[in-house]
Amino acid sequence: MHPFEHIAIALGQMGLIVLLAPFTTGFIQKLKARLQCRTGASVWQPYRDLVKLLRKGTVQSDSASAIFRAVPVLVLAATLTAAALVPVVVVRQAPAGALPLGDAILLLSLLALARFLSAVGALDAGGAFGGMGASREMTVGVLVEPVLMLVVFSVAVSTGTTDLGELAARRGLAPLSLHAPDLLALFAMLVLLLAETGRIPVDNPDTHLELTMLHEGMLLEHSGPGLACLVLATHIKQLVVMALVAAVFFPAGMTASLAPVDLALALLVFAGKALLLAVFLALVESSYAKLRFFRLPQFLGVGFLTAFLALALRIL
Amino acid sequence: MSDALATTLIDDIGALLLFTMILILGAGQLYRAIYAVAAQSVFIGIAGAVLGAATGNPDLWVIAGITIAIKAIFLPWLLLRVVKRVGIRLEIEPVIPISVTLVIAAIIVVLSFYLAASLGTVRQAITGNALPVGVALMLLGVLVMVSRRKALTQMVGLFASENGIFFTAMAVSQGMPLIIEIGVILDVILGALVMGILVLRVRSSVDADIADLDQLRG
Repeated sequence: MHPFEHIAIALGQMGLIVLLAPFTTGFIQKLKARLQCRTGASVWQPYRDLVKLLRKGTVQSDSASAIFRAVPVLVLAATLTAAALVPVVVVRQAPAGALPLGDAILLLSLLALARFLSAVGALDAGGAFGGMGASREMTVGVLVEPVLMLVVFSVAVSTGTTDLGELAARRGLAPLSLHAPDLLALFAMLVLLLAETGRIPVDNPDTHLELTMLHEGMLLEHSGPGLACLVLATHIKQLVVMALVAAVFFPAGMTASLAPVDLALALLVFAGKALLLAVFLALVESSYAKLRFFRLPQFLGVGFLTAFLALALRIL
Repeated sequence: MSDALATTLIDDIGALLLFTMILILGAGQLYRAIYAVAAQSVFIGIAGAVLGAATGNPDLWVIAGITIAIKAIFLPWLLLRVVKRVGIRLEIEPVIPISVTLVIAAIIVVLSFYLAASLGTVRQAITGNALPVGVALMLLGVLVMVSRRKALTQMVGLFASENGIFFTAMAVSQGMPLIIEIGVILDVILGALVMGILVLRVRSSVDADIADLDQLRG
């Protein structure tokens, strides 16, 4: 395979994620509204919001420096790069000596970088809520990121690679090859999915109430196109984590050929998996109350212990 | 059913059992712990049925049925009823913080895997992880009992511990004789009933907080 083809596939999947990401958020919000007996906004609402924000001007605080202006672009760039690394519809063995497009550790550290950058941006603006949001977001990050690593390692140990494409390709041979450690890792991942996507037991994505917000607090000072970048990055991150779950645990249905029929079929399968996870998120979000912040270590501790046991089961 | 399939299934059920145990340990509310222990009993019942199909021992089917009926339906119902009648605080009150309990739980699970590995070749009806998972469940149930204040939560720990013993017994022997199993289950019912009556009656004069019994002097 030509090395550029490898890169082109990665870029194509990245474009796919960017296009679909706002729809996923819109779908979850619509489903949540229906579950709460509301009509809710249209599923296309996130796209409209983005367009509206892109048209607006920018206002920023007097104490903000150049870093503040650069942050939205950098966060979006880090998240986009992460989106290029996760396999969505095509899994292929990377050609020897090619760039490691699909390394799980790189993917997770890019997401961590995006988190760090948005925290820096929030602190730079000098607002009280931004600082509070940043501090909370980083606390959650400390609890979530190591556990994500544990989950990925527990799967990587069995396949001997951290490259997501190869990992999915090797596991994809059997349609439903979930063994005991994989089950535990999957449960841990579902707990983490709630935290990583900023959903209700951990964070509330729909509120600007200062007492409850984590992620939104960091976005408060941004406006206009900058805010659009950050909001888009949030949508993308959510779909990237979902795609990560799909690639690691349910790789069945991905294709190795580039024929249009195969691609369309694989895309349909991926849409099915993503919708399933979106339904899970909406259901949890409608049936749980937000946890008190100091209760979070306990909630995420369940995820940590499960991931730890998955790794322990795999090794022992 | 082939042996390999049975082993895989029992292993998967073992993972589910461990996960429900973690849910019990991490539950912040009494209801969640009770639902988790009910789910755990359902999985134990399924494990009994799988083993019954694999070994062709009809007793195991009977035991699986009894387990689901008694431990997954009747006892949780009883606990929930007592909870409603007593009207206690639903928040679980741990002796040590729940996050510390989770860390201890991790150590216990790793130790029980180590223990099972060091036992050498125990004659097992099924290979795989059933023995260490059973031992871990048993010890984690005890951990729930010692780390919670309320009598009701301690009861949940007892049920979980009993599930662990049951799973271990299934893994090591091909199911204990029916009469012993029934005896054990009757014991658990009796314990639950005594606890229910104790909590309901004692509640009128004393708070059903086990820690308060330290103050009792003869």
